[in-house]
Order: sequence, then C-alpha cells, then structure tokens
Amino acid sequence: MIKANNVSICYRMTRDKIQSIKEYLVALIKHKVQYEEFRALDGVSFEIKKGEVVGIVGNNGAGKSTLLKVISGILKPAEGSLEIHGNVVPMLELGSGFDFDLTGRENIFLNGAILGYSESFLKEKYDEIVAFSELGDFINSPVRNYSSGMVMRLAFSIASMVSPDILIVDEILAVGDAAFQEKSYARMMELMSHGTTVLLVSHSIDQIRGICDRVIWLDHGKIVAIGEADEICDQYAQANALS
Amino acid sequence: MKNKAIRIAAIVLAIYLMLGVAFYFIAGNSLHYTTDSSVRVSCKAALGEFTEGEEIRQSFVCEFDDLQSLTVMVGTMARSNRDEIAVEILDANGAVRFSTTLPTDNMKDNSEYAIVIDPIIENVKGQHFILSLKSLKGTRGNAITFYYGNSVDAGRVDVPVEIEDTEALYLNGTRMTDEDGNACELYLKVGGINRHWFGPAYWYVYGGGALLLALYLLYLVRCHAKGKKNILLDVFRSFKRYSFLIRQLVMRDFKTKYKRSVLGMLWSFLNPLLTMSIQYVVFSTLFKTSIDNFVIYLLSGIVCFNFFNEATNMCLMSIVGNATLINKVYVPKYIYPFSRTLSSTINLLLSLVPLFIMLLITRTWPTEAVLLLPFVLLMLFLLSYGVGLILATLMVFFRDTQFLWGIFSMLLMYLTPVFYPESIIPAQFMTVYKLNPLYHVLRFMRSILIDGVSLEPKAYLYCIVLCTLPFVIGVLVFRKNQDKFVLNI
Repeated sequence: MIKANNVSICYRMTRDKIQSIKEYLVALIKHKVQYEEFRALDGVSFEIKKGEVVGIVGNNGAGKSTLLKVISGILKPAEGSLEIHGNVVPMLELGSGFDFDLTGRENIFLNGAILGYSESFLKEKYDEIVAFSELGDFINSPVRNYSSGMVMRLAFSIASMVSPDILIVDEILAVGDAAFQEKSYARMMELMSHGTTVLLVSHSIDQIRGICDRVIWLDHGKIVAIGEADEICDQYAQANALS
Repeated sequence: MKNKAIRIAAIVLAIYLMLGVAFYFIAGNSLHYTTDSSVRVSCKAALGEFTEGEEIRQSFVCEFDDLQSLTVMVGTMARSNRDEIAVEILDANGAVRFSTTLPTDNMKDNSEYAIVIDPIIENVKGQHFILSLKSLKGTRGNAITFYYGNSVDAGRVDVPVEIEDTEALYLNGTRMTDEDGNACELYLKVGGINRHWFGPAYWYVYGGGALLLALYLLYLVRCHAKGKKNILLDVFRSFKRYSFLIRQLVMRDFKTKYKRSVLGMLWSFLNPLLTMSIQYVVFSTLFKTSIDNFVIYLLSGIVCFNFFNEATNMCLMSIVGNATLINKVYVPKYIYPFSRTLSSTINLLLSLVPLFIMLLITRTWPTEAVLLLPFVLLMLFLLSYGVGLILATLMVFFRDTQFLWGIFSMLLMYLTPVFYPESIIPAQFMTVYKLNPLYHVLRFMRSILIDGVSLEPKAYLYCIVLCTLPFVIGVLVFRKNQDKFVLNI
C-alpha cells in the first residue's frame, strides 16, 4: 500500500530568513547567504500493508508531521522514493479550508472539493453531513455567525464523511461538547476499523496502544524502531522516562 | 474508454474545422488586404488664397502596396468657390501616373478632402511620388487654400518633424518655411492598400493545420489507449479531475467579492463605467483628444486593463494567501492562480455588458467582427494567467514582488494606450512600444468594436506570439519551482 524507500527531506534554511530582494542582494554581496541544511527526514524506509493502522510516535520535531506531509503528497522527497497505491485523504486541521463569509452549505461543497470529494459524492452525503453536525437551520447562514464549537462540528462532519484507501490523522480529533466529543471519537474509530489504512500521529501513548497495530518511532528524522504497537510503545515510554 | 477518447478527438477536430471556416468569413477582406493611411505632419497654417497659375508640389512616399487616395486639408474661406484644381501624381521618373480636375464648390471649410485615385496605382511600396496641384480659375475672393505644417500634434505639445529639402512643400518653385525658417510640408494623408499573402493561401494553411491536428489527435488517442505518458493528456485529465474544485473556488471568489456590499454584483457594471466617466471628463476637457468615439475607446481600454490588473494581482497572492491549505492538502498548485484568473474573467465578462450598452448608446453598431471577441479575450486570458504564474512564483521567494508589481503595473498602464491615442508616441519608439502585448490586445479590441473590422493577418501573429510567450514562460517557471513552494511559505 505504502512503501517508503530511503526517503529524505531537506530544508535549506538561511541563517537569517531572507524575504526580500534587497536583503538577498545585500547578503549576496557580503557573501553571507549561508544555508543550513536541516534534515527533517533522513533515510526513512518502511512498508505499510493495506488495512494496517500505523501509529507514529516521537518527540517534538522528530519529523512526524513531515512524514505525513510526504505521504499526502504535499512535500516531495528530496532523496529516495515513495510508492503509494490508493487515494490519500488527510484529516485537516479543522476548518482550515473554510471561508467565513460563505454559508455552512457552501462551505460543505468548497471544503469537500478541497479534500478531493466528487460533486456527486457530496450531494449524496450532504444530508448526512448536516445531520451529523447537528447544525440544523444554521447551515444556511454564514459561518462567521457560528460559535467556535459549531465551526468545529461542521468541519469534523465534512472531514469524517470519507471512505479513503489511506487516511492520515494528525492527532485524534475530538471536538465540541462532551456529547459531540463522544460521537466524533466513535466516528473516528469506525473510520479506522473499516479496512482503511490509517496513519496516526498522536502524543497520547495510550491512544496509540489502543488503536494501532504497528508503531513507527521517529527521532530527529530517523527511524529509531518499527514494530508491534505494545513493544515500541514500551520502549518509547521507557526512553522518555529516562530522559 | 478508447471510444470515448476517439469521440473527444473527433469533437476537437470538428470544432477546428468549423471555427476555421467561420473565421474566414468573419475576418473577411482583411485576410486579403487592409487599408491604411499615413500622415507626416499636422495642420499648422494655411497657404493663403490659391489663385490661377499658382502651383504647389509636395513629394511623398507610398508606404503601402497600392496607392488608393490622397487626402488634403482645405479651407474655403467660408464661402463657395468656383475654382478648379488640376491634380497630377508624378512618379520618380517624372511620368504622370494619375491626373484629374477637382471642382471646388463642394469642398467644406477646414476639413479633409480626399482625392480618390481611380484606378489605384498598384505595386508601389516605398516609391517616391510628387503631388502637383494647380489652380485653373482661382481669383482673389474666389479661391481655396491648403493647410500645411512641420510638426506632429501629440496631445498638449507639438513634436517637430525633420523635413529634408526634397520632402518640403514648394509653392511656385520656392520652398515654404514658417516664420523661423524651418521647412514645411503640405498636410497630406496618404491612403493605400496592403495586400497579404495569407488571404489567398488561407485554405492551404487551414487544410495543413487540419491534417497536423488530426495526426496529433490520433497520436494522443494512441497514447491514451496504451497508457503512455503525455503532458497534454495529463493536463486534460487533471482539469477533468479538478474541475469541481476549480468551480468551487471560482464560485467562492465570486460570492465573497461583493458579499457584504449593498449593490453587490452591480459593482462589476458600475466600476468600469465610473472609471470611464472620470477619465472621460479629465481627458476630453483638460487634455484635448482627437480620438473618434472616445467613449468606446476609453471604456474598452479600461475594461481590458482592469482585467489584466485584477487577474495578475489576484494571482500574485494566490499561493502565499493559500499557505495554510497548501501546507495541509495536496492540490495541483496551478489551480490556485488558475481559479483566480477565472474569477477575474467572470468579472470581465460582466463588465462587457456596460461596454455593449455604451456601444448601443453611441450608435456604434456591432458588425460580424464582434464574433472575434472570444479570440481577443482568450489572448488576454493567456497573457494574464502567464504573468500571474510568474508573479505567484516570485512572490513565494520575494515578498517585495507585490510592491514592485504595484509600481510596474502603473507604469504599464501609461505604456498602454488606454486613454491616449497611440499616435502621440514618437515613431522612433514605436518598435519598443509595440512589444507590449496589451497594446496589441487593445488594438484588436478597438478595431473589432469601433471600426467593426478584423485586423491584418500580421496583427494576429503579433498578438498570439506576444500573449502566448508570457504564458509559456509562466508555465515553465511555475512548474520548475512549485515543489519548493511548501518550504518557503
């Protein structure tokens, strides 16, 4: 399903961020354009089979989000190759594709289109999305009039109304009030249990232990260990306890 | 799946065949020949009464394939004169190529009078001629006069024209000068016909194009069937796949643009009209303009330039402004500037409505040439999208781009004949001036709307080359850098 072969990502960072032509020219004349190579991912190889639920753990800056970006196609690997079969749908940071001047209804179609859903799929699922979000008549008023909880509920309803081959989740999304949190958690579990391949990043070791089959442990862009969820989680927890 | 591909290919070919035939008839005579005229000097002063026995001689060069007419500016002293003017056109060898006698009683005071050369003098491009005018019956109180000058009227200032002795106006054998002793020329508009090879060869070009297109389409169908990679096929598939997203993004832009304004979509109509009104007042009162149908001239210029300006500025921000999305979801990045250009296009189409209303009000009836408008708009679209792609790319790496472009687009507006006639540009700068693609777009637009005719085949070539070039460059620059965007926004 997913096969990563020696994938590396390099950020070329100038020491002081140059963002204007003037600064660039001045730096160039002074021979001061120095790049610092920063390897967000360094020779990462792994294979994920269809239907597997794989967790990714690691400290801040270990390269977890970068790995997800590479798999969703946002970043191209600088070295190495990546083979992906099937369509990838990312669970977005909720509401990042919303236009607050548009109504909820218009946003369902806009956001759905951004996530790569087809028009017929959205029309078919429209009622389901509205029902799940519990927005009722608010669906026809502009999103800027929504409470933040309502925005989250709508965003979650759109994002979770998918049946992708590969689902990418950056932290499990449980939003809204207690009742909706329960509902959305249940929905996530349901999504993951439908034979979908899932890549999950979470800081909650217990969650990973509970949901995932296998775990990839990343540190400073390199894979420390891959293996059975319980085994790796124990190692990771131990390492963290030591430091 | 193969049948469907063949069907699409057949449709494309059929569209080409139909458009090709339609184009031949819409463009009409302009494919075969176009009329043109040239003037060296503007009117400055009149000769004084032109009486019996007097003769003026003015040399001129025919810049066209055939010589068709000569137009002079006459003064009748506000009366009807019963003189007769003997006209002769001599070539460089002194042979008389045309002669006629003109009655003067039907001439209007201070207006142009066209001497029609019938039959036309053919194949004389670049040849020197002398126009000789003699008064046969003129007496004091019963004579006309001719205007002459030695400068070109360029709006508020007169630009002097250098006149060699051989080019000067001679009255009874003596050289005419102004009070400072500078040589003068008769106001003379040389009218001629340019013939084009493209007209007679059109059906061969058309047939050849059809053959090439058919072969290429066949190749594409084969590529598609065998699953071979092909850029054009990829582009086509990508458009098909993301058409829903593009539609949603365009609708978003359009809906949010006027969302909280009272007049809403009406602004798309009002904006060009109000800009036009202001500039009309400014340029028709503060500066004298000599442009015919200035309302349409101005409005067509504003509509096109506004579109270019809006589209490029929206493209400029399209990548940087969508940073959050680009960081989260994979969507081909060309879609962001593309949807922005498309939403500007909708705005452009809306602003054509007031333009057509003004056409009706000024009684400039559209001719069949108006059907060429899609061509002009397509060129404008390609140009704007291409420039937009370059700007969007630059903007990711250098945020100064937005300020630089603000200044540059203002400069470009003054370098484009939006509100002034192109004739005020000194001839020596014309070659550089014509490198501006917007100049060609506007020239086309105005020819179609105001004159109601298509331009000469060469104008199509210039327009296509100058508008597609930025597009091709834009696509290449954007493609080469798009993978680096994520790291820089």
